[in-house]
Amino acid sequence: MNGTIIETKNLTKVYNGKIKAVSDLNLEIKEGEIYGLAGPNGAGKTTTINMLITRIAPTGGTATVGGFDIAKNSLAVRKLIGVVPQDFTADEDLTGRENLMMVSQFYDVPRAKAQENIRTLLKLVDLEEAADRYVRTYSGGMRKRLELIIGLVHEPRILFLDEPTLGLDVQTRMQMWNYVKEIQKRLNVTIILTSHYLEEIDELAARVSIIDHGKVLITGSPAELKTSLKGDIITITLSDQQSAELIKTIPDAVEVTDAGQNTVKIKVVNADDSLPAIINFISQHKLSTIKLTVVKPTLDEVFLEYTGRSIREEEGGMDRMKVAMNMRRARR
Amino acid sequence: MSGLGPLTVRELKKWVRNPIFFVTNLIQPIFWIALFGSAFDITRFFPGASTSVLGGAPNYITYIVGGVLTTMGLFTAMFAGTQIIFDRRLGPMGRFLSSPIRRSSIVFSKIISSVVRIMPQVVILIVAAYLIPNGLKFVHGFTIIDVLVLATAIVLVAFIFSSIFSVIATRMTNMNSIFGIVNLVNLPLMFVSYAMFSPSMMAPWLANVAKYNPVSWSAEAIRMVIINGSLTASQWTQVGQWLGGLAILAGVLMLLTAILVEKEIRD
Repeated sequence: MNGTIIETKNLTKVYNGKIKAVSDLNLEIKEGEIYGLAGPNGAGKTTTINMLITRIAPTGGTATVGGFDIAKNSLAVRKLIGVVPQDFTADEDLTGRENLMMVSQFYDVPRAKAQENIRTLLKLVDLEEAADRYVRTYSGGMRKRLELIIGLVHEPRILFLDEPTLGLDVQTRMQMWNYVKEIQKRLNVTIILTSHYLEEIDELAARVSIIDHGKVLITGSPAELKTSLKGDIITITLSDQQSAELIKTIPDAVEVTDAGQNTVKIKVVNADDSLPAIINFISQHKLSTIKLTVVKPTLDEVFLEYTGRSIREEEGGMDRMKVAMNMRRARR
Repeated sequence: MSGLGPLTVRELKKWVRNPIFFVTNLIQPIFWIALFGSAFDITRFFPGASTSVLGGAPNYITYIVGGVLTTMGLFTAMFAGTQIIFDRRLGPMGRFLSSPIRRSSIVFSKIISSVVRIMPQVVILIVAAYLIPNGLKFVHGFTIIDVLVLATAIVLVAFIFSSIFSVIATRMTNMNSIFGIVNLVNLPLMFVSYAMFSPSMMAPWLANVAKYNPVSWSAEAIRMVIINGSLTASQWTQVGQWLGGLAILAGVLMLLTAILVEKEIRD
């Protein structure tokens, strides 16, 4: 049950002979896990997925999906996988159920079996009541849910989820997370998830690879990656410069840096243990604190550490436009 | 796992469910035969010489029914490609391309559905032509063979032009490009043919060019059976040549479409 289901060896995609979207990428994904791919726009996530789902051909390296070579046996790969792309793919002029049935027929699922699968899946994502309405009447969240199950109608062993919650509001996103967890638990599919939202990957993925410039920077479980940062960050602002200098002498700090006027950033192994010592130090030396914050590392910090920039800086532009377009389409 | 069936059903559902699209498709033949039958009536320009310019047809409507049927098939077929661009723009193409279906099915579903859409138009046009005053007259009867010739010619014309325009569309991302191309060639294809006028009425160079236009082949084949009813052996040879030409062209284009699309279709 825990064999490798996807493996890439030096997978490379060069566009027009010069733009290197993916460069010598190596991944090993185990059967049954939710595997996250995180990285800024243009990092190569979608290109990687598009190669694995055989929509585009690699220019170098190899990859196998479910044991089949993506270049030599693309049809076998396509039968094995389900895809939920970033964009909406359902036909707005058909009902939800008709879309599901059409895609079932693409995979030659027998009619009775397809009807049964569709009923189960509609129930799973609470779309039973809307199933016989035209997709153009769906809200953005409903369309995303429909896309999610369209990718599952033929009972794939592997599901590719590309930005499943892009453009959704916070509540709908959390709801989607529950659906994804439920699907993984009940249907036991391997899920490959890409997302900008690092908390999404943190919440869902068992393992994650951070990708930038088409390369894997680091791979591990979200907890491992956070631990690899070695510490929590305590930021203290004091009333004057002298106090700020004094607090720098605090014992058991991993690293101390200035962070603005009368402000010091202290990195500690574990804030829960170090905070009492710091408070004691402050009262002993009768320092007056103006502000004190504790930050436990999230994947955002991990991302910052390995890519040298925040993932938030990468959002916007084309992407936001795409979301707006999709949402408009969904509402119309 | 070709996907042709479900994709064709999808196209037809979209057609039947869109009332404006559906109804305009069905009214169009009535408009065409009534308007074209009057507007281009050459017997009005040459009173007295009617039977010679009409190749033996009792009136102009009877003469142009074959031409109008063909042109209508042509116009409907030329738009087969636009749906491909819509699918790419609105998302479904991404789903099709990641499914294990044959890629040519995506295009053939558009071609087949446009052929199906033309069929009721053909029936309506013939009925309308028959009902309007001084309309279609079957002087020598109308047999099942006439129906077969007529249907074969229209289906082949529809296959020819919908495959040409679908292949063009697979390489385009902008709707306006395909509309531009359609508008560029639709009227020339209609007027540089024997659809509306006989070769004897056309400028010699135009009549020469029109000889090679498949629209002419179809119009002439239909005209031949409608005007003459039961054909002589030599007339059959002529009809056979026209239909044969259409069939070969359609066959070659379908093959070319399959090969090109399998390689070239993309997001």
